[in-house]
Amino acid sequence: MSDARFVNQRMVGSSVIPDEAIPLVEGDGRFLNDIKLPGMYHVAFLRSQHAHARLIAVDASEARKLPGVIKVLTGQELLGKVDPFRSMPNRFSGGESIQHWLAVDKVRFCGEAICAVVAEDRATAEDAVDLIKVDYDPLPAVTDPRLGELDGAPLVHEACANNYLIKREYERGNVDEIFRDAHTVVKRKFKIGRKQALCLEGRGCVAGYRENTFTLTVWMSHQLPYVVRHYLAKHLRMAETDVRVIIPHTGGGFGQKASIYPEEFVCAHLALTLRRPVKWVEDRIENMVASTHARDQTIELELAADKDGHILAISSDIWVDVGAYSTYLWSAGMEPLQTAGLMPGPYRIGAMRYRTRGVATNKTPVGPYRAVGRPSASASLELLIDEMARKLKLDPVEVRLRNLISEEAMPYRSANNLVHDNVNYIPCLKLSVLKSDYDRQRAEQREALASGKLRGIGVACFAELTGLGTSTAVGPGTLLQPGRDAATLRLETSGVLTIAAALPSQGQRIMTAMRQVASDELGIKLEDITSITNDTATAPYGFGTFASRTAVFGSGAVIMAARELRKRLLAMAAFLLKVPVEDLTIVNSVIQTVDRSRSISLRDMAEKSYFSAKDIPQELNQGFEVTSFYDPKFGSFAAGAHVVVVDVDPKTGHVEIVRYVATEDVGTVINPAVVEGQIVGGIAQGIGEALLEELVYDDAGQPRTVTLADYLIPSALEIPRIELHHANTPSAALGGFKGCGEGSIIGALGAVACAISDALSRKGGDIHSFPATPERVLKGLGVLPGDA
Amino acid sequence: MKPAWFDYYAPHALDEALHLLGDAGHDGRVLAGGQSLMPMLNLRILSPAVIVDINRIEALNRLHAGADGLTVGALVRHADLLRSPDVREGWPLLWEATTQVAHMAIRNRGTVCGSVSHNDPSAEHPSVLVTMGGTVIVAGTAGHRELPAEAFFTGALSNALEPGEMVVELRYPRQPTGTGTAFVEFARRLGDFAIAGAAAMLTIRDGICERARLTVVGMGDGPLRLRAVEEMLTAHALGQKEAQDAFAEAAAMVVAAVDPTDDVHASAAYRRHLAGVMAAQALETALARAGGS
Amino acid sequence: MAREQQIKLTVNGRSYEKTVPARLSLADFLRDHLHLTGTHLGCEHGVCGACTISMNGRSARSCLALAVQADGAEIVTIEGLRAEDGTRHPMQQLFLENFALQCGYCTPGFLITAIELLRDNPKPTEHEVREAISGNLCRCSGYQAIVDAILAASRLELA
Ligand SMILES: Cc1cc2nc3c(=O)[nH]c(=O)nc-3n(C[C@H](O)[C@H](O)[C@H](O)COP(=O)(O)OP(=O)(O)OC[C@H]3O[C@@H](n4cnc5c(N)ncnc54)[C@H](O)[C@@H]3O)c2cc1C
Ligand code: FES
Ligand code: FES
Repeated sequence: MSDARFVNQRMVGSSVIPDEAIPLVEGDGRFLNDIKLPGMYHVAFLRSQHAHARLIAVDASEARKLPGVIKVLTGQELLGKVDPFRSMPNRFSGGESIQHWLAVDKVRFCGEAICAVVAEDRATAEDAVDLIKVDYDPLPAVTDPRLGELDGAPLVHEACANNYLIKREYERGNVDEIFRDAHTVVKRKFKIGRKQALCLEGRGCVAGYRENTFTLTVWMSHQLPYVVRHYLAKHLRMAETDVRVIIPHTGGGFGQKASIYPEEFVCAHLALTLRRPVKWVEDRIENMVASTHARDQTIELELAADKDGHILAISSDIWVDVGAYSTYLWSAGMEPLQTAGLMPGPYRIGAMRYRTRGVATNKTPVGPYRAVGRPSASASLELLIDEMARKLKLDPVEVRLRNLISEEAMPYRSANNLVHDNVNYIPCLKLSVLKSDYDRQRAEQREALASGKLRGIGVACFAELTGLGTSTAVGPGTLLQPGRDAATLRLETSGVLTIAAALPSQGQRIMTAMRQVASDELGIKLEDITSITNDTATAPYGFGTFASRTAVFGSGAVIMAARELRKRLLAMAAFLLKVPVEDLTIVNSVIQTVDRSRSISLRDMAEKSYFSAKDIPQELNQGFEVTSFYDPKFGSFAAGAHVVVVDVDPKTGHVEIVRYVATEDVGTVINPAVVEGQIVGGIAQGIGEALLEELVYDDAGQPRTVTLADYLIPSALEIPRIELHHANTPSAALGGFKGCGEGSIIGALGAVACAISDALSRKGGDIHSFPATPERVLKGLGVLPGDA
Repeated sequence: MKPAWFDYYAPHALDEALHLLGDAGHDGRVLAGGQSLMPMLNLRILSPAVIVDINRIEALNRLHAGADGLTVGALVRHADLLRSPDVREGWPLLWEATTQVAHMAIRNRGTVCGSVSHNDPSAEHPSVLVTMGGTVIVAGTAGHRELPAEAFFTGALSNALEPGEMVVELRYPRQPTGTGTAFVEFARRLGDFAIAGAAAMLTIRDGICERARLTVVGMGDGPLRLRAVEEMLTAHALGQKEAQDAFAEAAAMVVAAVDPTDDVHASAAYRRHLAGVMAAQALETALARAGGS
Repeated sequence: MAREQQIKLTVNGRSYEKTVPARLSLADFLRDHLHLTGTHLGCEHGVCGACTISMNGRSARSCLALAVQADGAEIVTIEGLRAEDGTRHPMQQLFLENFALQCGYCTPGFLITAIELLRDNPKPTEHEVREAISGNLCRCSGYQAIVDAILAASRLELA
């Protein structure tokens, strides 16, 4: 073997500093709002002030007269010209919702777009919005999902009886019998508040007319460029080859930018009809009311256990307030079906039952947000497991160890029909317990309690299903089975490699990850590899970035394409160097014989083969460009266990996190520092869910949290230092990768919730409603009247 | 989220500013640090026809600590107070409260007079001014007038200014020897407007409370001075045990006296509870700082 | 006249003279008129901190100042942090090396705030760092890498 200097340094597993971050740190990022095209107009939307009302008249005459105003577009004008959004067929549909791009006849939530104003600049467009007069006939607003079951209750959509957009019942095992015979049964109702992904950059688009050769070019702050292209074309009744979608730098996505919304489609229509580029970037108020919300579940959960704390069955009854429309593409099933279906998490649960509903209300539609459903499901189950443990006088760690799916039991098919394999649930918990010095934490807790301080310790374990292949639907019940993505690898004429894929990044450093993977497969130096992931004109087909799939799919496709490309490169080199192909290897962008006696750089070889092809046999000269599709078939479970210590101030209800230890299994790690960033960032969002974040509506359906002074996300002071450990085990996917984008937010909500509950229970209190605002904490302690 | 049109003036002299404001009457607004006004303009909560930017009037940029008190001109920023050793030394209540106003970048621009004029019910400065018995110097085309702090604040987001008038200066007296002060507040996150807060000032001589001042913040109407509590504490012996009982009683009186409303951050019941907690904490800390128990 | 005004100012060492509408924010002026789009808008009501720039040596929210108010001012934005030869400011370099940015939308505000912090307090504790950046929101990072980058900078004795 050759000595170390001549071996490629392995890139996968190394915290390579991502080149792609350089423009961002130097102020040269190109975000949506940074794009300017010659002659570009600006759009502002008039939005409904009412939660539920008939539109009697819209008078835009004053607005149209304002200098600088180009056009005021109403919903009526769009009728028959474009196709509105009909909720995706879902096996569990209650009824169909139809969402016009601009409201026609009726508005169904505060913030729904009614008119689009096009003007020379945004301020003028907003001036014009203020001049439009709308005559509303207010209707009773549906704000409580449970009231829809009452006779004569107001309906959000005539086609949806009881306001059900989604409804499903499921049972595996004889649940009634198990509950009847069980030693211990615990039952509780949990409420998880309405949330916002709160990307720091709003969504929006620049729609260009006849830029380059495309009739329509859309720059959009979005996670799924090809999906956008397909649906734009479909709804605008165009050929998708006339449409190009480019994703600029994106200031956060978290699922909120994975849905299809009316406003961008209106802009595309305007660009086509005005034959001018138009720009719309949502401002923060718009973002708070017109971009999808998330969570908002009421979960009645019941658990049966034997005397040793083994969980025998769970049963849940779930209500999700999914807002006014079935979110386009994903349907209204995201939260209701995933909350219910993924409830068992990492635990051995042989029998389960659920009844779940997604109920339409006059609020902003609910769509995907980081870890859909699972944080709420997991936190509810974790809290109930603790309650069971308290009842049986078992330690929370011990009871979890008894129930987690062990490595010996794998592959394990749980009651929700998912197969757990290659995943380290128990090692994650054991490591977190060890690293947090759990027993000492308990001892310190007792001392703290003895001295009048209120301290709690929370433990939560979770499973995160990542990188879903064709075998599992991403949107349960829907047609969406996005199980295939492609990467194209191309050796350029100068010998550098380009990786193209339609997997845009919102900061996950996907380009760097794919470069690292390709570098290892091909022996090409990292600096000789570039990557482009944001443009339908250059990328092969791909579904996009969501559901912790991108590292798995992107890397898998890169590996497959790289293997084919490597063959071609070596064959060409063998011909040029006149040596057997088996003697060749690629090291640091040079193809050489194993004994290093002959070599050719990729640069020389690329130039020769592209520009002096005449002497090269045709069968060798197929071009150095390979596209491969990858489908991992099954998803891979990632896992984790978090241990959290909190101090609760019994006077103010304030919760402070004093220790946070997390262990995760994310499979083979491509770039440890990037993975750590994903995990810590997810934990921060989970802490926000647990302590701060809640979208509030009043009884009339008016949103009360529309600024960043009302909707509170954590600052650096609310987030403690996160101590992170790994118990990784490779998945069955190519390269052994798993997703790591969502797991930590699941663990964080559960662990913080359990820690608070643990603290309160020491004083005979408890909490079942989250976020744990100081007020709810005091209610939980009995200091203030009311339920927590 | 862009402001509506307005006419903008940035005079260099106070007289000029007062004339502009006088002419504009109800349609005019002073622009000081802009840290409260600009968000309202951007959100189009306010659309004044005339904006008079006072930032070019050098004469208003005056921070002076003298024997008889502290003078804070209309261009003195929160950050200026924090950087002043005189303020930290001589007006610790004002200094401590200012550390709790917003964040660095906002404190660099926002003015103390602006905060007092704006009179957000959760703001720190109005209550400090009331607690310390400060004075507001008001100017208009008709001349200057002086208002005791309590007369200036007339309810949430309102003040005693007539159209065309503005605040040019605040005066804070020096505190008597033997005085301890404390400003405490509770916000969901540091730098957010407080859900509830309290400013306390106790002058202690030989273990007896000679003078007490207590104001609570966040109860809906701007700074609320609790005279009944002050009277109860005055002449009260504040040894360790007595203080404990007295402050518990004070907290109960606060809870009974305040009348907050619900908002997204807190229910009225929680605010009321918190007012008592904050009042007790402020009194305890003030007493300790006065050299009491 | 009152709705429009001519202003003269220095941005990143370069002087400009422009006529601007009075209602134009400093942020929009920098971004749309000077094409310095490195300064970002995350809320336009003062809370998120993404628009933070340096004005006459002090950090300020550029969404809460009017362009006309910057007449005569010296402004530094993220684009002005690089040295003339293009070398990154040490704080930029440390943000990069510590993975202190993911989407990068919040980064301009954090850089300006962090540089001001170390000028005022060259050896902050971790808590002081967290307190100083608590007016800047980041939705991606969980702040840990940002805090580490700033602490690393404090060890370099930046000023
Ligand atoms: C994110 C954020 C957090 C904040 N947190 C806090 C906080 O915790 N506590 C707090 O107290 N404040 C807070 N503020 C507000 C900040 O302190 C402001 O500086 C202050 O409220 C107003 O001062 P200003 O100089 O900015 O006034 P401006 O915004 O310029 O003006 C505010 C109002 O006062 C009027 N006004 C200003 N100066 C005068 C004058 N001299 N005479 C007459 N009228 C005048 C204006 O016309 C306007 O109506 C926060 C602001 C932001 C953006
Ligand atoms: S954009 Fe200025 S603080 Fe958010
Ligand atoms: S890196 Fe995305 S908001 Fe901070």
